Amino acid sequence: MHLPQFEYIRAKNLADGLAVLAEYGADAKVMSGGSDLLINMKYRLDTPKVLVSMNGVSELKTVEETADGGLRIGAGCQLTDLVANPAISERFPVLRDAMSAVGSRHIRNIATLGGNLCLETRCWYTNQSENWRMTREGCFKTDLEACHVIKTANRCHAINSSDTAPALMVLDASVVLASHAGQREVALIDFYRDDGVDHTVVKPDELLTAVLIPGSDRRSIFAKLAQRVGLDFAVGTFAASIRGSNDAPDSVCLVLNSVSAAPKALAESEKILIESGLTDEAIEAAAIAARKALGELTNLFTPSGFKRRLVKTLIRNALHELRDKVN
Amino acid sequence: MGKQLITLTVNGDSHEIAIQSHHTLLDVLRNELGLTGTKRGCTAGSCGACTVNGDAGEAICSCLSLAIEWDGRSVTTIEGVQEGSELHPVQDAFLEFGAVQCGFCTPGLIMTTKALLDVNSSPSEDEINEALAGAFCRCTGHIKVKKAVRKAVEMLRDRAAGNAG
Repeated sequence: MHLPQFEYIRAKNLADGLAVLAEYGADAKVMSGGSDLLINMKYRLDTPKVLVSMNGVSELKTVEETADGGLRIGAGCQLTDLVANPAISERFPVLRDAMSAVGSRHIRNIATLGGNLCLETRCWYTNQSENWRMTREGCFKTDLEACHVIKTANRCHAINSSDTAPALMVLDASVVLASHAGQREVALIDFYRDDGVDHTVVKPDELLTAVLIPGSDRRSIFAKLAQRVGLDFAVGTFAASIRGSNDAPDSVCLVLNSVSAAPKALAESEKILIESGLTDEAIEAAAIAARKALGELTNLFTPSGFKRRLVKTLIRNALHELRDKVN
Repeated sequence: MGKQLITLTVNGDSHEIAIQSHHTLLDVLRNELGLTGTKRGCTAGSCGACTVNGDAGEAICSCLSLAIEWDGRSVTTIEGVQEGSELHPVQDAFLEFGAVQCGFCTPGLIMTTKALLDVNSSPSEDEINEALAGAFCRCTGHIKVKKAVRKAVEMLRDRAAGNAG
C-alpha cells in the first residue's frame, strides 16, 4: 500500500509546531514516530492535507526528574530510549514493562510515548485496506451510522490498544496538552472518551507534549495477552497498583485496556480488594467482577466469550503476581 | 506537492534524490536507487521484510518512515552489509544453517540480526527472541534462523578474538 499525498511541514521547535496546528486545525495531523499514523494513512482511514512532523523538536525529547520523586517525560521520546532509561526502570518498572510490550523492537525504535497514548482505536472491520472495507458499507469511522462489529451499536466500539495507557493510569499520571493559546494538564483517567471515533479530549489545535508521573510508593504490575506477544496489538492489557500491605491496602488501582474505546478503570474490583485485601478469594471475586464490568465487547479476531474468559484469567494471574511483589 | 531534494547516505555513498513527501524510505531505496534487496512486504510494520539499519545501526521498518525525514541522515541496507568480497558473518551463518526458504524475509532478518549483534555481542535467548519478533518468516519457522544467529555470535566473537590476537 502507498501513502496518499499530503503537504509535509517539519516543525523547527514546539512553538513553530503549535503555530502550524493553530493555522491548519483539523486539516493537519501531527506525526512523531508515525508507526500508527502512516499505516492508517495507507489504509485511507486518515487523509490529512498537512502532516506536521515533530521529529525535529528537541523540547519533546527530554526526561526530567521532578522534586516529588516523579518524572516528566517528553511525548516525543522514543520507546526504545525510554525502556533503557534507568530513572524509569528504577522508579516506575511497570511503565518500562508496558513500553517493552509495545509492538516489536523495529516499531519501538521509531514509536514514541505520546504516540502510543494517542494511538488510534481499532476494530477488525475498519482497520483494513480500503479494498477490504469496500466489501461492506461504511461505519461510524467512515461515512455511515453503522457498526459491523456490534450490529446494534449506536456509536463506534473500536478499541483502544495502548499498552502504556493502563500502566500510566495506575501511576496517577497526567498529560500536558499544549496549544498556541496556552497549555493544560489533564489526568490520564480523564483523557480518553468512550467513543471509538473521537477517543481523546485532544482538540485539533492541541498537542500532547509531556507525561507527568508523580512520585509513588505503590507496588505495581503490568500484564498483556496477545496472539503474537512480540508484536501484536493486545487481546487484553491490565495494570494494577497497590499502596499499603496485601492484607489491608490503603488504595488499589486497576485498569484494563484493549476491551473498549477507553481504558476501563475497574471500580467494583478495586472495592473488593480494598475491603478484603489480596486473599485468593478476593482476587477471584475481583476478576469475576472485572469480567462482568466488560459490557459490550468488540475485539480483533477473538470471539468475545473467549476474550471474557481470557480477561478474567489475565487479571487473576496478575494480581497473584502483584501480591508476591516486594516493590 | 512538487518534488524536494534530499541528501541521503546509503551504505556510505551520498545521494541527492528528488522525492515527494509521501514517499517512504522503502519507496526511495527500491524505486529511486534500485536497491531491491530491501523487500516490500506487508507495508504495515508487521513482517520486517523492509528492515534497514538507521544512523545508530538500529533496526527499523523502512515502510514506516518517510523518506523526507531522512534528509542528511544515513542508512545501511542489505547491499551494504558485505565487507568487500567477503560476506558478513551474519550472512555466512544464515548460509551455513540454510536459514532461508523462499528468501523473501532473509534481508530483513539479516538486518535485524546485525542490528542486535552490533550492540550486543552475547545476546541471551530472550534478547534474540525479542529482537527477531519484528521480522517474520512465513515459509518455514525460526529454528534455523535462531541457530544461524547463535552461529553468527560465535563467528563475530572469534573474529574479534582474532583481531585482538
